Amino acid sequence: MRLLFSILLTSAFLNAEGGVLDVDWSGVTKGQQKLTSYPLVLTKGIANVHLPVYVANSVAHNNNLVVVADKNFYSISLDIRGASLLFEGDKTYQESVDKSNPKFKNLLNHISAVEYVASEGMMLAEFSKHGINYAITVECEEPKTDKRCSEQGFVESLYNEIIMVGGRP
Amino acid sequence: MRYILLTSIVFLLTSCTKEVTPTANIKGFSYYPAGKLLPASSGTGRLGDNYIYAPNIRFPIESAPAYINSQVYGVGGYLGPKGSLCDQKNYAYPWRDNYCEKRGWKMPLCAGGKGHQGVDIRTATCEKRKYYAVAVENGVITSIGKYTVKLRGVSGRTYRYLHLDSRTLQVRKGQRVRRSQRIGLVSNNMGKTPTSIHLHFDMKQTIKIGNRSKSVFVPPYTSLIDAYKRLLSGNP
Repeated sequence: MRLLFSILLTSAFLNAEGGVLDVDWSGVTKGQQKLTSYPLVLTKGIANVHLPVYVANSVAHNNNLVVVADKNFYSISLDIRGASLLFEGDKTYQESVDKSNPKFKNLLNHISAVEYVASEGMMLAEFSKHGINYAITVECEEPKTDKRCSEQGFVESLYNEIIMVGGRP
Repeated sequence: MRYILLTSIVFLLTSCTKEVTPTANIKGFSYYPAGKLLPASSGTGRLGDNYIYAPNIRFPIESAPAYINSQVYGVGGYLGPKGSLCDQKNYAYPWRDNYCEKRGWKMPLCAGGKGHQGVDIRTATCEKRKYYAVAVENGVITSIGKYTVKLRGVSGRTYRYLHLDSRTLQVRKGQRVRRSQRIGLVSNNMGKTPTSIHLHFDMKQTIKIGNRSKSVFVPPYTSLIDAYKRLLSGNP
């Protein structure tokens, strides 16, 4: 009985219909979209991505980047000494809820320009730009002792040097 | 509005039940409700949130039985009763939710804003490199880290598989996978600092709230109960 009412309550607030978020292209300068001096693996990999693509400036020219992408998302990864870096952006959503939904009211307090999150020995920077959600993940071979994964500083420095390297409306 | 108020009142009244009896099911499978953590000091779960966030996913372990319970507060866990991590009590039903279990990690959907971002799943026996983790839906492998494999499903939801044995991975970055396709063997891999033998599984999805949105780790427990029942009935 309790299960039934819980489901009824939840379904009254949730809309399981997913969709695609609108990208606010007004903050994206034309100059940024014309940058072309990046490795082929990057430019080719994100050629059909329909959202602004961000990576850290210090890795954008690396030929060992691995890009997985389609029009709605991208995932750019790179192995560095003792760690893996991951840059992601995604413009899809899977649930749509009303602002008054009590189950998700805390989420609004966590929507900020950037939030640093520890996660299972990894460090994440989650940020929002142009109405889209992005993330940077640092995963270490020695997560308990490597400060890149136990402290915020390294992922914060990556976030501070992100640049837009592509993406189109 | 009247409907919402009525269901809210009924929900609150029914939530007052103090002790919860495990729900018995097919083939001896039983489980405590979502959000019922062990013990009370292990944190506050999302009791009453029985919504299936990832409907119709495949259970992430290839074969049953498998056991969702706490690695930290279970027998042998560093905050649990003394004993071996391989104690039979850890390899038995009923399942116990451990999403939102006490951690120092930011989690907007947990009480207090911190907690475990997914659930820990033990395989049939306490042996590493024996049981396969599989794709929960069709999708693409977007990244493989030091101990993490990430699958982005066609739904747009992303699933993290942690602690698989790196040497036995059956996938590579960028590979498209089908539901039930093998990903790798469950192990205790956490880079050079091994953990207990289990699969940490979590699900991240974007929730749109009005005209804003947030990508967040959502509760996987009820989705996994649903998936496990299908696995037990031979229709995973």
